[in-house]
Amino acid sequence: MNKTLTAASLALALGAALTVAAAPVAAADEKMAMEKEHCYGVALKGKNDCKAGAGTSCAGTSKVDYQGNAWTAVPTGSCEKTVSKTSPTGYGQLKEFKAKMAG
Amino acid sequence: MNAHASSVPKTVGATCGLPARGGVGLKPEHFREVLSTKPDIGFFEIHAENYMVDGGPFHHYLGRIRERYPLSIHGVGLSIGGESPLDADHLDQLARLLDRYQPESFSEHLAWASHGEVFLNDLLPLPYHAATLARVCDHVDQVQNRLRHRMLLENPATYVEFAASTMAETEFIAEVVLRTGCGLLLDVNNVYVACVNHHRNPCAYIDSLPPDAVGQIHLAGFARDVDAAGDSLLIDSHGAPVAQAVWDLYRYALDRLGPLPTLIERDNDIPSFPVLLAEAHQAERLMRDAVANAAATPAAANSSCGVGA
Amino acid sequence: MSDQQVFAGALLAAEPSCPPGLTAWNGSDPGRRFAIYRNNVVVSLIDALADTYPVTQELVGEEFFRAMARLFIQANPPRSRMLAFYGDRLADFIEGFPPAAAVSYLADVARLEMLRVSAYHAADAVPLTPAEIAPLLEDEAALPTARIGLHPSLKVLFSRHAVVSLWAAHQTTDVTRALAAVDSDVAEVALVLRVGLDVEISRIAAGAAVFITGLEQGIAFGRAAEQALAADDAFDLAATLGLLIRGGAITTMIIPRSATS
Repeated sequence: MNKTLTAASLALALGAALTVAAAPVAAADEKMAMEKEHCYGVALKGKNDCKAGAGTSCAGTSKVDYQGNAWTAVPTGSCEKTVSKTSPTGYGQLKEFKAKMAG
Repeated sequence: MNAHASSVPKTVGATCGLPARGGVGLKPEHFREVLSTKPDIGFFEIHAENYMVDGGPFHHYLGRIRERYPLSIHGVGLSIGGESPLDADHLDQLARLLDRYQPESFSEHLAWASHGEVFLNDLLPLPYHAATLARVCDHVDQVQNRLRHRMLLENPATYVEFAASTMAETEFIAEVVLRTGCGLLLDVNNVYVACVNHHRNPCAYIDSLPPDAVGQIHLAGFARDVDAAGDSLLIDSHGAPVAQAVWDLYRYALDRLGPLPTLIERDNDIPSFPVLLAEAHQAERLMRDAVANAAATPAAANSSCGVGA
Repeated sequence: MSDQQVFAGALLAAEPSCPPGLTAWNGSDPGRRFAIYRNNVVVSLIDALADTYPVTQELVGEEFFRAMARLFIQANPPRSRMLAFYGDRLADFIEGFPPAAAVSYLADVARLEMLRVSAYHAADAVPLTPAEIAPLLEDEAALPTARIGLHPSLKVLFSRHAVVSLWAAHQTTDVTRALAAVDSDVAEVALVLRVGLDVEISRIAAGAAVFITGLEQGIAFGRAAEQALAADDAFDLAATLGLLIRGGAITTMIIPRSATS
């Protein structure tokens, strides 16, 4: 069923939004139904520069090959702390994956 | 070849517009502090490629900082030493950036960074011979014509040399200056690093460059490594304070060239702003000393080379 | 092959090698010296990716991330000389990268992080203030035809995973504790928007997401709201508009001339 919105209901919503938007911060956030994560990003760096990596000249010679079993790295970060009931992302699953890669 | 000399463009911005003072590389970490404390500093330098974005905080802060301070725009991606033609889009973006911020100086490197479609994000070395000289001069001409701005070419820090080279690096650079009319950005840290790495005399290196062409100086810190024979190999890390040997070589350069806009470069392990400011002020003290020495001993060029490689 | 083509190839190759024609003053192996360049190219690009993808890196650990990034770089070296947006294809790479398959939400977290960088550097646009929008209420009949232009930084990301909650947990001081409260299997929609100079990431309801993407596609106000309501019974138009206006996300709001009488 195609739902229609009257011009009056649009106007009502816009009017309410304008009232909310013009209100002080705390009151407005409270009224907004949106779950808003107050996650402000830290300032980004400029990525172009003219430096050379210091003291890491050997790193360029290490071999990397993930064909077959040569790739042995498994994710070992905060993903291990994440709860997942249905998909294979839990801590135990990672261990299993590691075993599979090694075997 | 002689066509090069006649193609020097009429420049809009004067490259010697930077004051003969200390400056530092502008880092996003320091944007707000610079605006709130308004430090006493000669100029700021930015890497052009970081500001080739549409909008946002980088332009917001740079616009405000540029209103208060002289500005040097330093490119790191033009690949002037590249076999590939210059990237016309990139050059257009540079032109827009220069148009927007009207910098007192624009500089780039004697190096290559791109091949074909791929950008390698490093300042890579090239052999010095007739063919590479012609190519570099052609590219410098294109840059100066497109930007309508005299550019400064920076001497590189290198880790290898080429069997194919038929000219010394300084001979090559002097020839580029002669043919294109460009100026030089004398990176004193690069001189020191390259001379240690290739077992040459850093003072002689400076003496071999056309002194009147030098429009700016860079100072930075290096890291130590060794080559396969166990000999010193210095890395242009920009991750440490300026080394004493580089301050000494800077003093040698000042005695010959006089005071020049001098940038403290730091791209790794960036310290608090006052630490960089103190290094810029140290450069200014050495400039004042050099002027005082020259007045006391008019014979000029009085410091001997105390810097070994 | 040209000299620089050989040099460039050796810089990015998986196996170390040294291009011919390089020398060292003391006759030592130039390969050791060439490795400085090789290392610098790869490490600087890995660092650039780590800057863009801090949460992605934290999720899989630094060792895994850097090893994965190296493979990505070999397969996808930069094509642009500005590195700000380098690695915008990392999420696609992760989806086809078997060792990361166990972390099913990793690619979407990476997508969110790249959107954050894009929003940070997106073009500036002056938002409409409530006072500038209010006069449109006077022509109520034409309001459904209004075209709403959104800020260039605004992006919506639909995910089958709790992409916002996962990302937000990493912005807290106790990540482990925050993550314990997240069920990664809950679908979420992220709204990425630069408000002033800060990029904000919000979790928005499905209806709001449909409404906003409708506006992005240039659909009229009334029609976009209807689509949102059709997709989500709980769609709250007033709250969604409030979020957009308050965040400075509405930059133009025009009633087409033909619609006015």
